[in-house]
Amino acid sequence: MIELVVLLIKLFLVFNVIMGLASICTWIERKGSALIQDRIGANRAGAEIPVPQFSAVGLPIWGFIAKPAVAVINLTLRLAFIPLKVLGVLGVINTLVCDAVKAITKEDFVPEGTNKIVHALAPFMAVFPVFLAFAVIPLAPDFTVFDYKIRPVVAEVDAGVLFFLAMGSIAVYGVVFAGWCGNNKFALLGGLRATAQMISYELAMGLSIVAAVVTYGTFDLYEIVEKQNPVWGVFTQPLTALILFIVGMAETKRGPFDLPESESELVAGYFTEYSGMKFLVFWLGEFAEIGLFALIISIMFFGGWHFPGLDSIFEKGTWMAALLGHAILMGKVIFFSVLQIVLRWTLPRFRFDQLMNLGWKILLPISMVNLVIYSTLKLSGF
Amino acid sequence: MTTSLIVFAVCAALAIVSAIGVVASRNPVYSALFLLGNLLTMAVMFAALNAHFLAVAQIIVYAGAIMVLFLFVIMLLNVKTEERASPLLVVIGGLAAVSFGAALLKSYAAIAHVALPAGAVTGSNNGTVKALGLDLFTNYVFPFEVASLLIIAAIVGAVMLSQKLRPHGPDKTLAAQVVKPQEQGVK
Repeated sequence: MIELVVLLIKLFLVFNVIMGLASICTWIERKGSALIQDRIGANRAGAEIPVPQFSAVGLPIWGFIAKPAVAVINLTLRLAFIPLKVLGVLGVINTLVCDAVKAITKEDFVPEGTNKIVHALAPFMAVFPVFLAFAVIPLAPDFTVFDYKIRPVVAEVDAGVLFFLAMGSIAVYGVVFAGWCGNNKFALLGGLRATAQMISYELAMGLSIVAAVVTYGTFDLYEIVEKQNPVWGVFTQPLTALILFIVGMAETKRGPFDLPESESELVAGYFTEYSGMKFLVFWLGEFAEIGLFALIISIMFFGGWHFPGLDSIFEKGTWMAALLGHAILMGKVIFFSVLQIVLRWTLPRFRFDQLMNLGWKILLPISMVNLVIYSTLKLSGF
Repeated sequence: MTTSLIVFAVCAALAIVSAIGVVASRNPVYSALFLLGNLLTMAVMFAALNAHFLAVAQIIVYAGAIMVLFLFVIMLLNVKTEERASPLLVVIGGLAAVSFGAALLKSYAAIAHVALPAGAVTGSNNGTVKALGLDLFTNYVFPFEVASLLIIAAIVGAVMLSQKLRPHGPDKTLAAQVVKPQEQGVK
């Protein structure tokens, strides 16, 4: 019974983490892209709200009380609205509130001649593997509360990394369906390109993950973090980390690999025919996937919740150490999300044959050689 | 009612419903979707039987690669919806299904009371990656290597079959590969 309650609490918290990451990444994308492109970005919504101010005009009798009271009320209102205006200038209200309201209230059209069921199913299939992959990712070190040991993973499977690979394979379906049921050539082309890209880069991802797993000796993500205690994984296997980062950007169709949604070529690629909430669901899935890959890279190569010097502040196993570990992990996740966003707005897009060239002729042989090197090192006793 | 029994019941029901859906739906895309659901519920059943690696491998290989290929073909070739079969065929098919099902149930009833053989593996920790790897690379090394030879043969065959025989050999320059005359473009 207690386990069920703990599981429900874990589910709720992980869902919060996913939604928080997706929202923050959306905001960083909008304002960060504005910074990079030397413009201001979204800053109107909430920043120009008229603050309600009262006036003491109709109160002549109690004027000597009313006027100062009204002045105090006005001042309090102006002070209370300052945080709202600050958030508005920073673009937070625009991104988090206005976009959501706009998406919910837009007309949801389905193009003629397509399958309505598949059209409605495609956003779900694009998003559900991403959310499901968060189930095997540890978000904090173990801690003990009232003599009950809690491991902050929703599903304690010992094949955690493999499950993540499986979810990467399923994420292709959303793109296939979205591209096909647009009933136009732009969406179909975008869907085909996206599928070919994702399938090609899954090979390099699988091989580089296998090289990492060979070095760590376990598939369990919690154990992988615990093995990086003094030395992070990126220092023992830098090439694997680099390959995984590149492949991660290709799998999420982000960054220089965003040919499937290339706005200047294909209208909007595979989600051309989606508007309103369905489009927002796709978008949310994409940003959740950014957070997911940032989490995977931080956990597998950058030490997870270990940071040299901060590990011994709290006693291991207490909830305060768990909270600090979680904060360190989230800091690394935000760093990698920002890195992915900056890379997207800096590098020009690959052409499709360059993309396939990179996936098959460059990354796949390099990851194979990498695997052979690390297998040899492991077998010879390192 | 243990949780494993409930999980098995739900997954079995979903698997049967999706299997029937594969056969009974007239639209091939729906058939592919039902097959995908069937594969996913099978993976859950594998995981409930403590065969974690098989569950995940099923999703990666079958549901994640092979079914995508099926869907590619169905969507690209724009396979049309079938018409409903004639009633005679439905009757014959129903009779065949009932007789096959009866034979299956009879054969299951014949073995239901036999105890498991002595070397059978039950219980946990036998489907984990470590146990599977140990078994695969020590006892079953030879079939493993033969299977990898088969896969290489299939890959080489696929690459060979997809090459269009041009009279002057494969296009070497980037311009020849990328730039196409308009007749060969998308219509």
